[in-house]
Amino acid sequence: MSTRTTEYLVTRSPELGPDGRAVRMPVLPAGMDPELRGEHMLINIGPQHPATHGVLRLVLELDGETVIKCTPHIGYLHSSFEKLGEYRTWNQIIPLTDRMDYLAPLIYNCAFAMAVEKLMGIEVTERCRIVRVICMELDRVFSHLLWLGTTAIDIGAFTVFLYTFQERERIYDLHEQFTGARITTSATRIGGMMADLPVGWTDALRTFLETFPRTLDEVETLLTNNQIWIGRNRDIGVISAENAVNHGLTGANLRASGVSFDVRKDRPYYDYETYDFDVPVGEHGDCYDRYLVRMDEMRQSLRILDQALRRLPGGPINVQDPRLILPGKTDCMADMESMIHHFKVVMEGVPAPPGESWFGIESSKGELGMYVVSDGGSKPVRWRVRGPSFINLSALPAMVEGSLLSDVIAVNASLDIVLGEIDR
Amino acid sequence: MGLNERGASLPMAKSGTSSFFTTKLDAVVNWARTGSLWPMPFGTACCAIEMMATAASKYDLARFGMERMSFSPRQADLLICAGRVAYKMAPVLRKIWDQMPQPKWSISMGACASSGGVFDAYSMVQGIDTVIPVDVYVPGCPPRPEGLIYGILLLHEKISGESLKDQIQLRAEDPERAGRPNLPAEVIDQVALPFGNSTKQNRVSGLVATAQLARPSDRNP
Amino acid sequence: MSGEEFRDGLDALETGARPGGDAGVPAGEAADPASHPTVEMLTRAFPDALQHHVVVAGDEHVVYVGAERASEVLTWLRDDPEQRYDYLADVTAVDYGGGRPLELVYQLWSIPHRRALRVKVVLPLTALVADSVVRLWSTADWLEREVFDMFGIEFRGHPDLRRILMPENYAEGHPLRKDFPLRGRFSRAEQTRRALSPDLDDDYTLAEKEVVDPAARRAAREMEEQP
Repeated sequence: MSTRTTEYLVTRSPELGPDGRAVRMPVLPAGMDPELRGEHMLINIGPQHPATHGVLRLVLELDGETVIKCTPHIGYLHSSFEKLGEYRTWNQIIPLTDRMDYLAPLIYNCAFAMAVEKLMGIEVTERCRIVRVICMELDRVFSHLLWLGTTAIDIGAFTVFLYTFQERERIYDLHEQFTGARITTSATRIGGMMADLPVGWTDALRTFLETFPRTLDEVETLLTNNQIWIGRNRDIGVISAENAVNHGLTGANLRASGVSFDVRKDRPYYDYETYDFDVPVGEHGDCYDRYLVRMDEMRQSLRILDQALRRLPGGPINVQDPRLILPGKTDCMADMESMIHHFKVVMEGVPAPPGESWFGIESSKGELGMYVVSDGGSKPVRWRVRGPSFINLSALPAMVEGSLLSDVIAVNASLDIVLGEIDR
Repeated sequence: MGLNERGASLPMAKSGTSSFFTTKLDAVVNWARTGSLWPMPFGTACCAIEMMATAASKYDLARFGMERMSFSPRQADLLICAGRVAYKMAPVLRKIWDQMPQPKWSISMGACASSGGVFDAYSMVQGIDTVIPVDVYVPGCPPRPEGLIYGILLLHEKISGESLKDQIQLRAEDPERAGRPNLPAEVIDQVALPFGNSTKQNRVSGLVATAQLARPSDRNP
Repeated sequence: MSGEEFRDGLDALETGARPGGDAGVPAGEAADPASHPTVEMLTRAFPDALQHHVVVAGDEHVVYVGAERASEVLTWLRDDPEQRYDYLADVTAVDYGGGRPLELVYQLWSIPHRRALRVKVVLPLTALVADSVVRLWSTADWLEREVFDMFGIEFRGHPDLRRILMPENYAEGHPLRKDFPLRGRFSRAEQTRRALSPDLDDDYTLAEKEVVDPAARRAAREMEEQP
């Protein structure tokens, strides 16, 4: 029996043509007459599939093992968030935000509250700003840990899944101590937070910051120089910098391609310019670089958390404005004005001035944009979420066409998508 | 577990009812079934993350024999629908359910799978029991891992109460009904009616005059 | 808060809210074009294309452009070396209800110059058509499909304009329009029936079916031959 090898002309890094669109080279065995096409297969992956990270459906046209065309189909989790938002008052939308990116709920809570506060022209207190920075960085680590666990398990490294989930349980405990819920935190309110940090929370967080780097080191030992991991990830799913920007990639996906765009550095909010942290930028734009960038991002988040904990001041956590914040219970029972304010805030909601605001922050997955439009009422006219995963996923065909079938799974995992924010 | 009370307990039972041997056989079969229920994790959203956490080290599903998550329905016993189901996803859910061979059970995990949850809107299935038959409902948003485990243990009790003599009724499945909704149309309309706060969803908040036109029809569910 | 206002507020619960004011367009302050370098150059490069320039939420600049000139302006915004808005953050639309025109919103960011700009195109309900910007930014591919799906705005020149979030054969309309009820137009039983009824083949687009099905290939060729 003779073995036959076929060489494929595979383009891994398509260039931009004169019209600015990607030029794709045909994937054919080298030396083969283009008229002579073998039969292609149509393979359907998902929407129910362990490795699609949610209800994503990929339809692949394959020539043997090589992907000729990849079409993602989404919408299997479309939960009409934006329509529901039009029927809810500003504070009632906050529980909805948890359920969009359920891997980093505090980031979404904070992003929405920040967008609405910008619309209303509210400045939150210093303590609230720093607590929100702590929440966002903690959830960045939280989300990256899940990404790490599920990517590893997709590629076959099961142990890493268990290690990262054990660390996530510690963060679940922190969520629960603060907000009462593990995942659906709903921690922010317009003008502040649902409650102040409980006693002992900062100590628990500090313990986490001390013990977590050890786990991260262990995972690095397992993966970073592992030949299987390198073989499955290096030079896979390469996307060039111009292509990445043109496709709207953000977050670690963009930075791994060499573009140093991080909203925290380029359009800072909440005093991020005063924190001392680096933004890791890769150079090859492949899955391995995306892995390295996210691993380093976790370490940088730990630095920010450390600094934020040091500078956490006392003082009120909520803006002292009875039109926004519910007065305390004892006040309501004793004082008529407080009772009326309580009634108005709960029954009417907090009215926002007519206007709009598009506010983008750096979420764990990329640039998260919250666009809120108000007509003067207590409910939005339009609430739009620019979910980074939606755009990141649209770049998937550009990254996998020409690769092998197993690379599709690796690239999909390295994009770090969450279907809740894709389908909204 | 009360097995001896459920079936006829006396070794000398009347003919036509369960005997000592059939109850013992029931016990063995049910022990085997509950001891290794292979779940088909139909995880869609946040509840899927809690299901993953339940399978991880802290809440370990492996102690129930359930760590082997079967993503192929052909090899699964238990469909855990974890997360909200959109109408676009409903045929997939039904198809996966139909592809599972008997004996099979299902757990509706979370408020969205059980009743639509927070999402009383145009694109969400208001409870997967309109699409597939459900054995155990686990409320919560998301239910804690302990909640899911409690639901699984309830299912264990339900399975332990089954008897081989009832297998024909229990395992009956009409091939004509494959791919069709689980409940008839009138019942779906009834169970999907808004309740609680859902009835108060209207675009215009009651006290504040907004610039947008008031739509009285909005006030009605 | 006075007693009258309080009572009036409670009355509104019985009678429904009073539509008041005419805020259909966001009340941003008309701004000085010189406050944003791009807008200043835009007024010189396209003096007749720029309809309004406002500043909202303190520091967000919004320019209103007519539908016919939008494509030109956006191309200039992307390609002009002083502007270089190479990153399209978002394409979305806003429906204010009551028959008012829709606003198509483009949120742009320039990575080299670190500048943001929002471009809005007002589209009347009778003419919900705009030019696609997919050839400028590939991001717009899915974003425009979503706007089409949710609002019904057609994008001329889009390579593959079909529904993205709702099923392809969704017959109830465009969900994010204000005249679309929250729970959809059909009853729940009808929605469930429709969801579970389609054939497996309906899950695949014609382009996908072309790969394996000769009949689909013929149909696709016939569609291409049509003018």
